Amino acid sequence: MSEPIARRKIIVDYRINATKCQDCGTMYFPPKSFCYNEGRASHMEDLDFFYKKGALYSGTVINTPSSKFKDVGAHISGIFEFPEHSLRIPGRITDYIPPEGSVDLSSLVGREVVPRFRRNYSGSEDGLVHYSSLNFSFGDEYYPHQEYVKIEPSEEVEKPGIVGYGVYLPKYRIKNEGGGVLGVTERTLPFADEDTTTFSVEAGKRALIHAALDSTYVKKCFVGTESPTYAVKPIMATVTQALELGEKFEDGYFSGGTDSQFACKAATDLYVDAAALVNYPAFGGEHVMVIGSDNSQASPGDPLDYTVGAGAAAFIFGRRDVIATLDHYLSYTSDTPDFYRREGEKYPRHGGRFTGTPAYYKHVLTAMKAMLKKSGLAPEDINYVILHSPNASFPQRAALQAGFTREQIAPGLTVAKIGNLYSGSCPAALGAVLDISEPGDKILMTAYGSGAGSDSYVFTVTDKIAEKRERSVPVQDQIESPHKEYVDYVFYRKMKDIS
Amino acid sequence: MVQKDGPKPIAAVVGAGRTKFGELWYDNPEKLLVEAGLECVESVDKGIGRKDIQACFFGSFLYQHTNKRGLIPGYMAQELGLNIPISMTEAACASGGAAVYNAVLGIQSGKFDIVLAGGFEKMSDRVDKIMDDLMFAADPHEFDAGFTFIGLYAVMMSRYLYDYGKGDERCLDAMAIVASKNHHHAMGNPYAQYRREFTVEAVKRSALVADPVRLLHCSPVSDGAASLIITSPEKAKEMTDTPIYIYASQQATDSVALSARDNLTGVKSTRLAMGAALEQAGMKISEIPLAEVHDCFTIEEVMYMEDSGFYNTGEAWKGIFDSYKDYEGLRHIPYVRGDAEVIVNPGGGLKADGHPVGATGVRQVFEVYRQLRGEAGDCQVESDGDLDAALCHNIGGTGGICTVHIFGRGA
Repeated sequence: MSEPIARRKIIVDYRINATKCQDCGTMYFPPKSFCYNEGRASHMEDLDFFYKKGALYSGTVINTPSSKFKDVGAHISGIFEFPEHSLRIPGRITDYIPPEGSVDLSSLVGREVVPRFRRNYSGSEDGLVHYSSLNFSFGDEYYPHQEYVKIEPSEEVEKPGIVGYGVYLPKYRIKNEGGGVLGVTERTLPFADEDTTTFSVEAGKRALIHAALDSTYVKKCFVGTESPTYAVKPIMATVTQALELGEKFEDGYFSGGTDSQFACKAATDLYVDAAALVNYPAFGGEHVMVIGSDNSQASPGDPLDYTVGAGAAAFIFGRRDVIATLDHYLSYTSDTPDFYRREGEKYPRHGGRFTGTPAYYKHVLTAMKAMLKKSGLAPEDINYVILHSPNASFPQRAALQAGFTREQIAPGLTVAKIGNLYSGSCPAALGAVLDISEPGDKILMTAYGSGAGSDSYVFTVTDKIAEKRERSVPVQDQIESPHKEYVDYVFYRKMKDIS
Repeated sequence: MVQKDGPKPIAAVVGAGRTKFGELWYDNPEKLLVEAGLECVESVDKGIGRKDIQACFFGSFLYQHTNKRGLIPGYMAQELGLNIPISMTEAACASGGAAVYNAVLGIQSGKFDIVLAGGFEKMSDRVDKIMDDLMFAADPHEFDAGFTFIGLYAVMMSRYLYDYGKGDERCLDAMAIVASKNHHHAMGNPYAQYRREFTVEAVKRSALVADPVRLLHCSPVSDGAASLIITSPEKAKEMTDTPIYIYASQQATDSVALSARDNLTGVKSTRLAMGAALEQAGMKISEIPLAEVHDCFTIEEVMYMEDSGFYNTGEAWKGIFDSYKDYEGLRHIPYVRGDAEVIVNPGGGLKADGHPVGATGVRQVFEVYRQLRGEAGDCQVESDGDLDAALCHNIGGTGGICTVHIFGRGA
């Protein structure tokens, strides 16, 4: 495939774009500019099926995949239909490993499916990574279908803060046998067609649904990661196209953004910038999305290889219908070489025990204590404390040292069950805490990024949180899902390396 | 039966040649085509020379891609040492049928009265890439949805089993019977890639390639070529006393993408081309005792038996199952419906004879030509002397194109 062909496919495939004849109702995928029945005089309407649910019409288990899908291995491809719209499209079932032997395909006919933004393939001659939403997971499985309802923001302008969030954790998990490794007992990992980009889109999609916000109101998107899909080509551009924050082809929604890197605080560092932007008149918008996303990398066999996870969390900042105001911020930075990866190197290196006291603890504790002083809050004024969690031991020790209790720490200690999401670590934990917060709750979050620095924030939860709660996919539900699947180390390692 | 007062023939076949099909590692595609071409020129009873050919119509699916070549007419002229009009058609697995169709058009136009139609393919040159290459005959979105070409027929078979089989094991048996029957038919075919019997049980036990399609439901990857000399009906008698006349030549097309079609359990282009061909020939399907059918996967032969009108929609599997039960052990096993009988793929079809994609549509005519002239040797269909009509059905992709030709010995 060439770059121009890839570009044209992006326009159609990211959101399953189709057209409908307004005269006779006939649907076309890929989109057509005229109707077979009505001819050139037909009036065609653009539709997309990004948020729709469909059903399997007929499927097959591809036991011998084409070269594009060798990494995925055996899988179900099929014809899927969106019955309400009389539309059929080809697609693939993802998050599913077919059992060996014959599969009762008849039993799958009619089963509800949800479109998923996944990688189709990489490694082709053009060197591009190709994505689409022509991938589906079963609707009664790990990933529930959610309606995307848009609600106009209220007229009332408040202190800036979070107006919606979404956390995406992949379905597949690996256990650390015994008592776990530094308190981490199990971890998330990508499926063969997932990567940092797909995590970002999934998290952003959930954030839009949670906020019930028209995607075109988001005028900037930041993606913080240290496992970017490309060395040069921003993930945020893919997110912007897929979530329709920006360009609707030949229509023009204007939106910008960038990817950022600062080890595990690449996303959290930008929360304050997002909150500032929505207050800045020349910005021209009122909403900014910040996503922390990583397929956290570690050298095989390295101690970190037993604590890293995968996933993303997206937060939308604005100043209308805010669920948690951003009350205080400070950041503390020094040039501390505790963990790093040079261009072209596959895995990060780290300084072993040097990553502890002179790096993590120094920055986290300095920032946290300074924040308490700046905000005038005492530890007992805080309902939940969240710290960057390279494992479950470091954040507990630091928080206890700063005067917090285990009860304040526990809800944000998601690392024990999902692993270290690197740029998504604090954001996912913040999502887990917001899932259970009540109006008036105060949340102290202190992120840490190697290299090194800490951002500390205080949020106050508002009354709005209750009305949006039903639209969230709680982190705890994802952690405890009966549909999660455990894999062994060999499978895990393969997934980490191809993603 | 071709009626004396029925439609007149539109063209005639007076010579036919082919290579053996198989993995022909040491032959290049040009050599195969030349071999088939020379055999077909030399097969003309009263003799013609290479320079009597006024135009050539070739078909191949992957030649350009495999060899990274364009301007195929020039390459073909170089091979033949001729400077006549040459055209090349790519229509996936129907490239051969389309070449025949174009050759007949050339005759019908009145511009030519002796032409050569040829089909060839060298699939083994892409031995480790052929799975991907075959997806050129599919919609790109199907490729990106993880489909293989086998997978596309597998979703058709899957839906057929769902809609019509409804869990009846005999429906799966019918899919295997088609393979077993065609391999049985190939036992007398010296050109066939696989002259080997497979029981129904062996087919049903073979490896699942794209569930529910198993390895032995599939035609093989093949190399080979076939050629025909096609003339005007008037010219034919100058070439041979026993030409085989073409009474219908039809082509129909449909969306490449399966998802854009009304259903997956039949092929619209077959229905359209068959209907038009029967009308053109003034015949009913029950009057055609011999058919070369595009059995790239056994489900396609099952669907053809419905799309052609021989069996009712959703009932071919029952007819196939019942036919096989009644006729097990014969040289050829006909499909039966009431008083009507048809022998499908007497030389083994794509399934056992082999399926060098671009050659197949021409090879089918080669088979019919020999059968109607009574020259098919150990493959000859036994009849009481009234084997006077036959048809060839050639599909491209999963039905994006279909050609149908109807032949007879003449009134």
